Amino acid sequence: MLSVSNLSISFDESQVLEGFNLSVESGDIFALLGDSGSGKSSALRFIAGLENAMNGSVVLDGADLSLNGVHSVKPELREIGMVFQDYALFPHMTVFQNISFGIDHLSKKSKTEKVASLLELISLKGIEKKYPHQLSGGEQQRVSLARALANSPKLLLLDEPFSSLDKSHRDELVKDVRSILKKQSVTSILVTHDEAEAKAFADKIGKIEKKQLFIN
Amino acid sequence: MKEILIKSNIWVGALALAIALPIFVVGSAWLLPGTDLWSHFAQTLLPELVSSTLILLIGVGIGVSVLGTVLAYLVVMVDFPGRAWLEWALFLPFAIPAYVLAFVYLGVFDYSGYVQVWLREYLGIPGFDIRSGHWAIILTFVLVFYPYVYMMARASFKRQKIQMIEAGKMLGAKPLRVFWRISVPLARPAIAAGLLVTLMETLADFGVVSLFNYSTFTTAIYSAWGDFRSIEVAAQLASLLVVVSFFLIYFERKARGKAKYYSSDVSNIKAYYAKGLTGWLIFLFVFGVFMLSFAMPLLQILIWSVEVFTLEWSDRYFDYFASSGILTISATALIVVIATILALPSRRKSESKTLQLLIRFSTLGYALPGSVMAVGLLYGVQNISLISIYFAGSSINHILFGSVALLLFAYVSRFMAIAYNSTSASSEQIKPVYGQSAKLLGASRLRLIQKVYLPMMMPGILAGGLLVAVDVMKELPATYLLRPFGWDTLAIRVFELSSEGLYERAAIPALIMVVFGAIIMLIFNKLDSEKY
Repeated sequence: MLSVSNLSISFDESQVLEGFNLSVESGDIFALLGDSGSGKSSALRFIAGLENAMNGSVVLDGADLSLNGVHSVKPELREIGMVFQDYALFPHMTVFQNISFGIDHLSKKSKTEKVASLLELISLKGIEKKYPHQLSGGEQQRVSLARALANSPKLLLLDEPFSSLDKSHRDELVKDVRSILKKQSVTSILVTHDEAEAKAFADKIGKIEKKQLFIN
Repeated sequence: MKEILIKSNIWVGALALAIALPIFVVGSAWLLPGTDLWSHFAQTLLPELVSSTLILLIGVGIGVSVLGTVLAYLVVMVDFPGRAWLEWALFLPFAIPAYVLAFVYLGVFDYSGYVQVWLREYLGIPGFDIRSGHWAIILTFVLVFYPYVYMMARASFKRQKIQMIEAGKMLGAKPLRVFWRISVPLARPAIAAGLLVTLMETLADFGVVSLFNYSTFTTAIYSAWGDFRSIEVAAQLASLLVVVSFFLIYFERKARGKAKYYSSDVSNIKAYYAKGLTGWLIFLFVFGVFMLSFAMPLLQILIWSVEVFTLEWSDRYFDYFASSGILTISATALIVVIATILALPSRRKSESKTLQLLIRFSTLGYALPGSVMAVGLLYGVQNISLISIYFAGSSINHILFGSVALLLFAYVSRFMAIAYNSTSASSEQIKPVYGQSAKLLGASRLRLIQKVYLPMMMPGILAGGLLVAVDVMKELPATYLLRPFGWDTLAIRVFELSSEGLYERAAIPALIMVVFGAIIMLIFNKLDSEKY
């Protein structure tokens, strides 16, 4: 279970979030809706430990990750996975190397098995040796999801992951990703500005309005 | 339209060919009958020279790659105390000619320098020769040339998407792993480009190796020309350098390969924040490099300048200064104009492989030691003169030998690569669609160049021009051999004094050069920071 409390964020002296609270039950998929500049991505990045805030605490499965605006655990040690808007696949690595990046400590054999099973999960078998630029946008986003799931994170953050895809592919991928996350029962937070997408994807939806979170 | 394009290509091709002339002259030396001298060289000196040159190249190559990359990574990706000013301060060593750093270090660490005197008097450590072995000279080159790798790697790190690093972090990678597995591989083409320039500069160096009495391939070329008066053997040896450079350029191009790594969005978020002790340790390291490569040498030549000012200073310095100034300004203007013509986007579009090859050739002069360039030109002039005697009955030697025009030609041939690389990099970023839309709007060729291409290429043109200016001012061997009578420059004064061991007196002309170089680098840096 994730709980974020009393989060306050400001950009260049204008405050975007004030006393923001959020809790997500284990295995739930939560969608965070908001207009651009509403601070939804910043909230997500604070949870990941990538961005600072004036105030705010994060507790994940009983462990304090951030306390009163100070990160007590570094991003690389939080066991949180993230899927970025533009996928952020490493262009110089193959699909196999990308997906296995987070599980490099495993033996070669277990890595191969794990990557194969993840590729099966995202319905893209046999593309291990391809480079990201040889894949379509939708395929890249699936690979990026597989990479984030490889080391079984306690929480998965998705920062507008579907926004650079065209509509027809997007609807399909939203459905697919939801079923994958449900199958793996990964606690997840999706950030989006698209209400329809949020409804199709999440179990619960919250909207940022007037610097606070309102649960629908 | 096509006809105009072809016609202009012929002109441009001829221009590139003219710039590459010294290289062809040098290469043509192989057509001459072999001499005993060549076999003498091959049997006695060559094996040792090749191995010492290789050791030097490998040592300097590893040194600049590691130092330049690590420094660039730290200032771009890590927030630590003093980062902002160190980021530009690390460019300043460009202002110090390699031979100046060499004589300062020799002056300080030599047998009679105060470090050894102190070690002898207080610790009883016997004197040693820092010229022997490879370490001292490799270290000197690394301190002078790391900014090439630093500059390229820094630009590349700045263009790397922060998400790449964040993705690495979220997958559990610690800072070192992110550096090694993500950032460095992505910056590899840039690091290779910086390394290439460094290796070519090292190959072509004359000042440092002669001050250190270190024998390299270049020394052999000088010896063939200077000691044995064999222009042919000198040229044959030099052409081997051109071949090596050609391979280096080929490998660098290959390393770029399919790299489409760059994104243009530059974010100001730092990937890492180094606080407390770690931050200060990083500061100490970066500051230490700055001190060793710039601040301490500058301070030393300042002290020496003050000590010997009355002895060394005279009105002649106004002449040195004027010679350096006139040559630097006119050569830079000429080089920049030609580089811009060669790098215009329409060149790229033209599918003429021959033209591309000629342009490549025109930049190879960078690998030719200045003296070889000079020898090649003199050799060429001599042959042209023979033709003129044959047809017109009179020699033209007196017009060309010792003329400013010939020296400027040598500078153009030698430094075209620097200006061309910079201008063509900015021209490569001009998408074809700009040219197409300007043409659809009825713009003539001239207007297209004036209003669209030139403004877009301007940052690259200016940056290239500034770097060329610093290099021309520092240039030594070609100036030495080709300068017209009475045209002694500051660089020549530094070398004359320091090669006689008069390090303190050499500090005065060196100081003037370093100050001007530093001013140029600061302008360069200002331009560069506006780009981001």
